[in-house]
Amino acid sequence: MGFWLQRLGPHGVFRTLATFFLLVLLSWLVPPQGFSGPLGDQAYLNELQDRAAVLRLAEEREWQVLLHYRRTWLGGVESMQDDPGFFLSPQGKSNPREELAATLTRFFSDDLVGRSKQPAQCAFVARYHWLQERLQFDGARLPPLPCERFRQWFDEFNAEAISLIFPTGFMNNPSSMFGHTFLRVDGKDQTPQTRILAYTINYAAELPPDTGIEYVFKGVAGMYPGHFSTIPYYLKVQEYRDIDNRDIWEYRLNLTERQVTRLLMHTWELGNAYFDYYFFGENCAYHILSLIEAAEPSVHLLDAFPAYTIPVDTVRRLRESGLVGEVISRPSRSTLVRRKRASMTNDERGWLDRLIRNPAGLKEDGFQALPFDRQAFVLETASDYLLQHSAGAGEEGAPYREKNRSILRARSELKVTPPDLSIQPYVKQPDLGHGTSRLGVGAGWRNQRAFEEVNFRGAYHDLLDPEPGYTPDAQIEIVSVGIRHYHDQSQARVERFGLINITSLAPIDALSQAPSWKFNIGMNTIRYNGCQLCSNGVASGGIGAAMESSLFKREVYFAFAEAEANYSQAYDEHHRIGGGGTVGMLTDLTDRWKLMLSGSYLRYALGDKSEDIRWFAGSRYTLSQSWALRVEYNHRDRDDDVLLSVQAFF
Amino acid sequence: MLDYISETLPLAGEALIQKGGGLMKKTVMLAVVGMFMATQAGFALAANPDSGPGCGLGHVAFQNYPHQKTIGVQLMEATTNASFGTQTFGISSGTSNCTNDGKFWAEHKVNAFAALNFENLSQDMAQGRGEHLASLATLMGIPATQQPVFFAMTQEKYASLMAAGETSPVALVKALNEAVATHPMLAKVSAE
Repeated sequence: MGFWLQRLGPHGVFRTLATFFLLVLLSWLVPPQGFSGPLGDQAYLNELQDRAAVLRLAEEREWQVLLHYRRTWLGGVESMQDDPGFFLSPQGKSNPREELAATLTRFFSDDLVGRSKQPAQCAFVARYHWLQERLQFDGARLPPLPCERFRQWFDEFNAEAISLIFPTGFMNNPSSMFGHTFLRVDGKDQTPQTRILAYTINYAAELPPDTGIEYVFKGVAGMYPGHFSTIPYYLKVQEYRDIDNRDIWEYRLNLTERQVTRLLMHTWELGNAYFDYYFFGENCAYHILSLIEAAEPSVHLLDAFPAYTIPVDTVRRLRESGLVGEVISRPSRSTLVRRKRASMTNDERGWLDRLIRNPAGLKEDGFQALPFDRQAFVLETASDYLLQHSAGAGEEGAPYREKNRSILRARSELKVTPPDLSIQPYVKQPDLGHGTSRLGVGAGWRNQRAFEEVNFRGAYHDLLDPEPGYTPDAQIEIVSVGIRHYHDQSQARVERFGLINITSLAPIDALSQAPSWKFNIGMNTIRYNGCQLCSNGVASGGIGAAMESSLFKREVYFAFAEAEANYSQAYDEHHRIGGGGTVGMLTDLTDRWKLMLSGSYLRYALGDKSEDIRWFAGSRYTLSQSWALRVEYNHRDRDDDVLLSVQAFF
Repeated sequence: MLDYISETLPLAGEALIQKGGGLMKKTVMLAVVGMFMATQAGFALAANPDSGPGCGLGHVAFQNYPHQKTIGVQLMEATTNASFGTQTFGISSGTSNCTNDGKFWAEHKVNAFAALNFENLSQDMAQGRGEHLASLATLMGIPATQQPVFFAMTQEKYASLMAAGETSPVALVKALNEAVATHPMLAKVSAE
């Protein structure tokens, strides 16, 4: 998470130190803001505090939002904010009234507070403006401070609007599967062509140097601090569009100028703040919503995410709240290449594929015979491809950069402009896809025994779910459970449980040769060694390849080499470990109807020495954005299972 | 039932890592590590301060980033360096060499942009158009009406501009400024 500077370098360190000492020296010589000390009179402070108490300002929604208070189980409130410097009262984290009284007190002083080292009026400028509005401060008795630093920072944005930016999920980096959200402050002087100059407001966990495997646990447990920063949008575009190859969706928010100002004021305050970053709950998407609540406290956004926060759900929530205006997409670099390549003639495509391998081909007569604007188009596409492969690749990208130089030199000699192609991402707008949780009700037979089943999945998407809005050929299932009642038994049982089940199919073609992979931890039910319904713990993983065709509509074929470990009472020695392979295919029969077939063979060499042959056939029919029908047939080693179900997404 | 799972799964996982072989181990590590990481991996920004615009940003390359071809180990490596984003662009974080409260100092804006967008800029200059080139022109103070002329000039002088850019982004910006100053149409505008 976040950015990491490899090395500041000795000069950088000396410069930083020198600057620091100079600043310390200056701060002795020049007293800040004239004389430090009380700004107004004690009697007026008492009066303001009395009025605030009578008006019960500390209970108002605005105050609760600005201090990030949340109700606790015990009936009190507690702020999610974890930096003690964010509170002006020692009891501030859990006592809104104390905090408000202390805040008013500090407004009467120009002592520097918080990590940002400013007078309280400036460090907590949103609180100041709200309290000033509600209590109508008398400027003569409580002189307002100029807050130069805030003013400069605020003016630099020249803010016109706020956009929520959503780089979609990225399967080949498992940490980014659910996507990320941040805000972009759109300046008045920017055009769509210069929008990359905007600053963003980004919330990210800060991992200490030399972080090891422990951050898996620390991240989930909220042991890393999350900070806000204003990284320029052009760096974020590079990170997501060029390096990760992720489509970026930009949602312009319907906020008035006053709301935009409030949002920025509160953002400034958060320079004094950090939140413990919880990867599933209080993550980037969650705290970005909290900023929007600060812009318009009457909208309740966070209440919808008590336990975990999936970025696309926050986008949906904003849409439902009527806050989303214009939506624009910024396709990934690989989408640009694919779309441009698809628009070419066979001949042009042939040249593209040759030039990206060896740019010397552009001197050949065949290429030179193309019309100039078509030459330019092929060269630009080749450059896109080479940039896609050199971005973020460090030394490994050097050969691609080398080739790109030759391609671009040739391109610069053609003084033509090929017609602009309007390029859309392959994936539909994410917030228009199905909900991230799923509930299914169904019935079926297992080895002639009839059952009913209820199943639930916490998140997110599987290979057979309706694709619109989701990364194609990718599956992430987190916490899923299937409960069955067999007709000949009196009790229901947990038939399946999945902790994590991930599959990423990456079809190989002329342009991309990424591996496919899968990983699964869960439990299922087996029939084995005379045990009819035995629980079986599973951990498995595999690596493989995928290809696609468009014979019918779109077909994806895949093959995996895999390893698996099982634990069950049914096995000799209670476990077995082995390996094998899976082949299969996915096909869209119509826009709504999808089919998946697969077969696996596994041989277990350790523990219970045995083998397993499995077949799977599954079919999904989409009824609407939130409803689908499923038929699934599972065969595994002396076991046949058929399930028909109807599924609701929410 | 859930107790049963929580007891058995760690056992299975342990056996897997010990006996499952290299590939399996790697896959398990990758998926577990990645899964619980933050929602985005870090950049590793390598900067050479000697050739930089004076604020520690020289030729900046995104290194060791988990590229598609090299997912896995590098995910970890990407996070092992000192923080760039939160310190340089931290809100109300005070001054640094490049930034003031998280925003670039005015005098560093152009050089920093050229350093951080060098590859995209070179593509735009060769094509004579694009958002990176338009943004650079805006930062250099070239009025919108004159930008098409500026774009054509960068395309025309692509080879020599890139030769300068290969040495350092500062040299590229310097070469661009000189090209503007000596251009019959652009010089007039920049002089005004």
